[in-house]
Amino acid sequence: MNQENNKSNAGRKRRSASQWAVAWRRFIRNKAGVVGLIIVLAVVFVGIFGDFLAPYPAFPDPKALTPFYNGEVRTPPNSKYLLGTDVLGTDVLSDILHGTKYALYVGVVVTAITMAIAIVVGAVAGYFGSWIDNVLMRITEVFLVFPSLLFILIFVRVFTLGAGVGTSFNFLGISIPIGLTIVILVLAVFNWPGDARMVRGEFLRVRELEFVEAEKALGASNKRIIFRHILPNILSSIIVVASLTIAYAILLEAGVSFLGFGDVNTMTWGQILENNFSDMRIVWWAELYPGIAILITVFGFNLLGDGLSDALNPRLKD
Amino acid sequence: MLKRLRALASNVLKRLRALAGSSMLRYIVRRLLYMIPVALGISIIAFVTMYAAGNPISLIRAGKPNVDQNTLNALRAYYGLDKPIPIQYLSWLTNILQLNFGKSLYGGQPVNLIIGPKIWPTIELQVVSLLIAFAISIPIAVYSARKPYSKQDVTVTSFSLFGVSMPTFWFGLILIIVFSFTLGWLPSAGAQGAAGFVWWGNPVLDQIAHLILPVAVLVYVSLAQNIRLIRANMLEVLRSDYILAARASGISERKVVYGYALRNAITPALTFLGIALGGMIAGAPMTEYVFSWPGLGRQYVSSTLGLDFPTIMGITMIITVMTLIANLIMDILYVYIDPRVRIR
Repeated sequence: MNQENNKSNAGRKRRSASQWAVAWRRFIRNKAGVVGLIIVLAVVFVGIFGDFLAPYPAFPDPKALTPFYNGEVRTPPNSKYLLGTDVLGTDVLSDILHGTKYALYVGVVVTAITMAIAIVVGAVAGYFGSWIDNVLMRITEVFLVFPSLLFILIFVRVFTLGAGVGTSFNFLGISIPIGLTIVILVLAVFNWPGDARMVRGEFLRVRELEFVEAEKALGASNKRIIFRHILPNILSSIIVVASLTIAYAILLEAGVSFLGFGDVNTMTWGQILENNFSDMRIVWWAELYPGIAILITVFGFNLLGDGLSDALNPRLKD
Repeated sequence: MLKRLRALASNVLKRLRALAGSSMLRYIVRRLLYMIPVALGISIIAFVTMYAAGNPISLIRAGKPNVDQNTLNALRAYYGLDKPIPIQYLSWLTNILQLNFGKSLYGGQPVNLIIGPKIWPTIELQVVSLLIAFAISIPIAVYSARKPYSKQDVTVTSFSLFGVSMPTFWFGLILIIVFSFTLGWLPSAGAQGAAGFVWWGNPVLDQIAHLILPVAVLVYVSLAQNIRLIRANMLEVLRSDYILAARASGISERKVVYGYALRNAITPALTFLGIALGGMIAGAPMTEYVFSWPGLGRQYVSSTLGLDFPTIMGITMIITVMTLIANLIMDILYVYIDPRVRIR
C-alpha cells in the first residue's frame, strides 16, 4: 500500500513537473510577462532589504526625522535627499523603501485570505451544486452590487477605533502594525466574492470531466476528489487570479490610506500621499514618487498575471 | 431629414408600445421589487456595524474635554440613541421611507440639507464621465481587436494595462500638479469658481473648466477597464464562423464589424460594465476627495472620519440605490441589444 502510494506520488510529480516546465517555457517567451516577473522580483528584493538600503530608519523612529531636526523640511530633491523631504521632515526615498514591505504585506495577506475563502466557497458551490450553490451564488451576487468601498471605509473606521492604532504585534520576530492589519482583514472580507465565482466556474467545468467520474467509481471521498484531483487542475487559474488580486489589494490599500483611514504611524505609500496632500502645491515630489512606486509595483503584478494567464491557460490565448 | 426623423419617432413609439405590452415591463417591475431586500440587507449591515461599535456620542467625545453626564444623556435622548439598536433601526427605516434621513450628530442639522445639494454634482460628474468613456472606448477597442498584436494594438493594450495599474486618485494629483499648479490652465478644486473668480469669463465655461480634470481621471480609469474587456470579447467574436460567413457573402467590412460583431462582443461586456459602473459610483470618494468636488463621495469621507452615523447611513443608501438602478439599466440594455436573452 505504502509502496503503491509512493509510486503514484512519484508518477504525479514527474507528470506535473513537465507540465509546469512547459508552462515556464511558454512564459519566458512572453516578453511582457518576463518584465512583470523582473519587476515583481525587484519589488520583493526591496521589500526584504529596504530597511538596509534606506538612508534613514522608518518613521516612528526619531532618527527618521533627521531632516526635520536639520531644518530641512520640504526640501526639493537634491544630492543629499534624492527624492526630497516631505512635510513631516522625513526623507521621501527612505519612506518609499520602507513602505515597500507594507505594500507586499497588504498584497500577499489580502490575497491569501481572499483565495482561501474563495476556494472553500467556490469548491463547495461548484462541486456540490444544488441549494448550497444557489445560496452561495446569491450571496456573492449581492456582494457584487455592494458599494464595497463605502463599506470598507466604515469598517476600517469603526474597527480601528478601539484597537490601538499605531501599536504593533510580534509575529515570528517581525513587528506587524495592528492598524494596517485591520485594513487588510477588511479588504479581504470584501474581496472574496468575485474570486469565489471564478473558482466555482472552474469547479463546474472540471467536475464533469471523465477522471472525476473515474475517481467516484473508485469510491474516492468527496474531500479527496476536491483537494487531490480537482484543485490541482484549476491551480493555474487560481495562480493567475491571485497575482491580479495582489495588484488590486495594493491599489485599494493606497486609496484607503490616502482618504485618511490608514494607520498614521505606518508609512505606507498611500499614507505618504495623504500626509503631503494638503501641501502638494509645494511638495509635489512627495506626491509624485510614492505614486510611481505604487504604479510600478501594481503594473508588475498585473503584467505577471497576464503573462501567467497566457502561459498557464493557453486555451484562453487569443 | 424630416421624413427620417418621423420614421425614427414612429419606430421608437412602436418599440415603447411593444415594451408596455410585453414581459419587459413585468421584468422591470420584478427587478425593482428584487432591489428592496438587497437595499434592506445593505442598510441593516451598515447600521449594525456602526451602531454596534459603540454609542456615537461617546465615540465622538472620546479624547475630548469632558462634558457632564447629564448633557451627554440629553444629547443621546435628543438623537434617539438611548434606545436599543433594533428600535433605532426601525425608527430610522420608517423615517427614511418618508425620505427623512435624520439629524446629523454635528449640530443636529437635518441630513437632507447636508446631502441634498451634493447629489447633483456627483451625478453630473459620473454621467459625463461615463458617456465620454463609452463613446471613446468602443471605437478604440474595436480598432485594437481588428489588428491584434499590431503596433497600435500593443500600444492600446499597454496603455490600458497602465491605466488599471494606476491609483485613480494619484492620476488626479498628477493632473493637478501639471495642469493647475505648473501650467495654470485649469482649476484644481471645486465645482465652480468662487464669486468674482470665474474661469474663462463665463459661468458655463467655468463649469466646464472645473469638470475637465475630474472627468479626465474617471474617463481614463474606466476607459482602461472597458477597452480590456471589449477588446477581449471582440477578438473572440471576430474569429467565429458567422463572421467568416458574413465576410464571405461580401458584406462591407464596416457593417461586419459594427453591425454584426460589435453587438455580440458588447453583450457579455455589459454585465461587467454594470458592475464597473457600480464600482465607479461607489468609487466617487477618491476622485471627489482629490478635486474637492462638492459631491456625495467627499461628504462621505469627512462624515465617516467624523463618525457622523446618520449622514453616513444616508449617503450609503443613496449610493446603493444609484448602483442598483445603474445595474438595472445595464440589464435592460442587455435584453435590448441581445435578442437571445429571454426575460421570464
